[in-house]
Amino acid sequence: MEKIIEIVLSGLSMGSIYSLLALGFVLIFKSTGVLNFAQGEFAMVGAFICYTFASLMKLPYLVAFPIAIVLGAVLGVVIYALFLRRMIGESIFSTIMLTVGLASILTSTAGLIWGHDVYLLASPFTNKVVSIRGIILSQGALYTILVSLILFIVFLRFFNHSLLGISMKGTAEDTDTAGLMGINVRMIHMIAWAIGGIVAALAGMFLAEQSFVRLEMSHVGIKAMAAAILGGMDSIAGAVLGGVIVGIVESFASSYLSGLEFANFHTGDIKEVAAFAVMILVLMIRPQGIFGKEKVERV
Amino acid sequence: MLTVTNLEITYNDIILALKGISLRVPKGRIVALLGANGAGKSTTIRTISGIRKTLDLKIEDGQVEFDGQVINDLEPHEIVAIGLMQVPEGRRIFAELTVEENLIIGSYSLSDRRKFVQNLERAFTYFPILKARRDQMAGYLSGGEQQMLAIARALMADPKLVMLDEPSLGLAPLVVQEIFEIISRINQDEGVGILLVEQNATAALSIAHHGYIIETGRIMLEGTSEALKENRDIREFYLGLTEVGAKKSFRDVKHYKRRKRWLS
Repeated sequence: MEKIIEIVLSGLSMGSIYSLLALGFVLIFKSTGVLNFAQGEFAMVGAFICYTFASLMKLPYLVAFPIAIVLGAVLGVVIYALFLRRMIGESIFSTIMLTVGLASILTSTAGLIWGHDVYLLASPFTNKVVSIRGIILSQGALYTILVSLILFIVFLRFFNHSLLGISMKGTAEDTDTAGLMGINVRMIHMIAWAIGGIVAALAGMFLAEQSFVRLEMSHVGIKAMAAAILGGMDSIAGAVLGGVIVGIVESFASSYLSGLEFANFHTGDIKEVAAFAVMILVLMIRPQGIFGKEKVERV
Repeated sequence: MLTVTNLEITYNDIILALKGISLRVPKGRIVALLGANGAGKSTTIRTISGIRKTLDLKIEDGQVEFDGQVINDLEPHEIVAIGLMQVPEGRRIFAELTVEENLIIGSYSLSDRRKFVQNLERAFTYFPILKARRDQMAGYLSGGEQQMLAIARALMADPKLVMLDEPSLGLAPLVVQEIFEIISRINQDEGVGILLVEQNATAALSIAHHGYIIETGRIMLEGTSEALKENRDIREFYLGLTEVGAKKSFRDVKHYKRRKRWLS
C-alpha cells in the first residue's frame, strides 16, 4: 500500500509538470488559435534562467524563482509580439511550422549561451526527503505538487470569477464579437502568451528539481502536448487532468516494469511511450479528448 | 451624433459594396436602415464598429464621425470605449458561457466598476427572463432569449448609441414585437440612440423615428417613418400592401420583383 501511494505521489509530481505545460498549450491555443510547439523550450529556458540566477550569480533560490517567472512571461510576450501577432488567423500549418522553427532556434540559442552540459539547480528542497508513516517522498516532489495545486486553484478562480478571465474565455470562443464588446483582443492574446510563458518557466524549474538542467529537458513539451490533447485541447480542467493521468501512468510503468526483460526487450522502456499509448487509447474512444467539446478544431 | 458621409466600401479589394452612402443618427433617436439581402446594411454597421479589417472591407472614400470624432481607423475596442456598441447579426452570444458571464463581458469597457451592479439590475428589469436564467449556459437559451441577451449585453457598457443588426432574424412575430417594444422603451427611458438595421420593414418602422432605404449599396430613399409608411413604393415592396391597404398576394410581389430585376 505504501508503495502504491509513493508511486501515485511521484506520478502526481511529474503529472503537475505536464499539467502546467499542457495548461500553457491550451491557453494559447484557445485564445489565439496557435498550437505552440515551443512550449517545452520555454520550460527549458525558464529552468536555465533560474539556474543562471541561483547557481551562477549565487542569488538565493527564492529570489531566482520569481525572476525566472517574470522573465518567462517576458519571453512569451516577446515571442508573441515579434512573430505570432501577424500570424493570428493564418492557416494552422504555417503557425505550427513557425513555432517548430522557433523551438529549434530557442534550443540552439540556449546551447550557445549555456552550453550543452548537464547542470544542477540547487534548491532548498534538493535531495531532501520527508517520511510520513513510512511513505518516503522527496521534498521537491511535494513542493511541485503543492505549488501546482495552488496555481490550478488560482487559475480556476481567475477564469470563472474575474472580469479579465471571463473575457479571455469569451475571446477564445468568438474573437470578433469580443472586439465588439470593447475587449482589446491583442492585449488578451498577449496575456495568454504571458501566462503560457509563466507556467512553462514554472514547469521547467520543477523539472530541474527532479533531475537536471539541460537542453534535452525541452522534450517534456511533446509529452505535455499529448496530455493536453488527451484532456481535450479546449479545456483547462482537461489539461490538468490529462497531465496527471500521463504522470501517474508513467510512474506505474516505470516502477512495475523496470528491470524486467523479455528477449532483449526492456519493459522499463515502456515508460517513455506510456504517455502516447494512453493518449491514443483515449482518443480512440473520445476523439475530442476527455473534456473536449465535440466541435473542436482538428489539428 | 453619428454621421456617415459618402461612405464607399470595397470588399476583397474588388467588389464595391457601398457606393457612397450618407446617413445620420441624431442623439437619442431610433433610425432604421432598411433593405433586402446583400443591399449593404451589415457592411455599413460593420464599418462603423471597426471590425472591417478581419472581413477584408476597405474604406475607399468618405468618413464615419461619432460625437465629433472621426472613427474611420479606430479599433473595435476603441469605438466601444467612446460609447458606440454593436449587437451583431445572428446574436453572436458566447454560447459556452453563462448568461451572467455574457453580461459581465458586455460590461468590459465600463471604467467605473461600481456601475456594474446597477447596470446588471437595469438589464434584468428590461429582460426579467435573463435573471431567471442567469446561471444557465447561454447556448441553451431560445432564439428570442438569445437576442434579448445580446441586447442586454450591449446595454451593460452604458453606450450612447447601439447598432442592432437584424434583431428580428429568425424569430417568431410575437417575439419580434416583444423585443421591438423593449428596444423602444430602452430608447425612451435611457435616451440611448439606436441604429436599427432590418429587413423587417413593418416592425422597424413601427418604432423608428426616421428611416433610410438602402438598395445595392446606395441610399434610395429617406424620410421620417410616417412619410416612409405612406410612400407608394415602400408600401408595395417593403410593407407588402396595395394602394388600398389590403395585403397583396405574394404572387404579385414576386412577379414584380422578377420584372424589376430584368429592368434594372
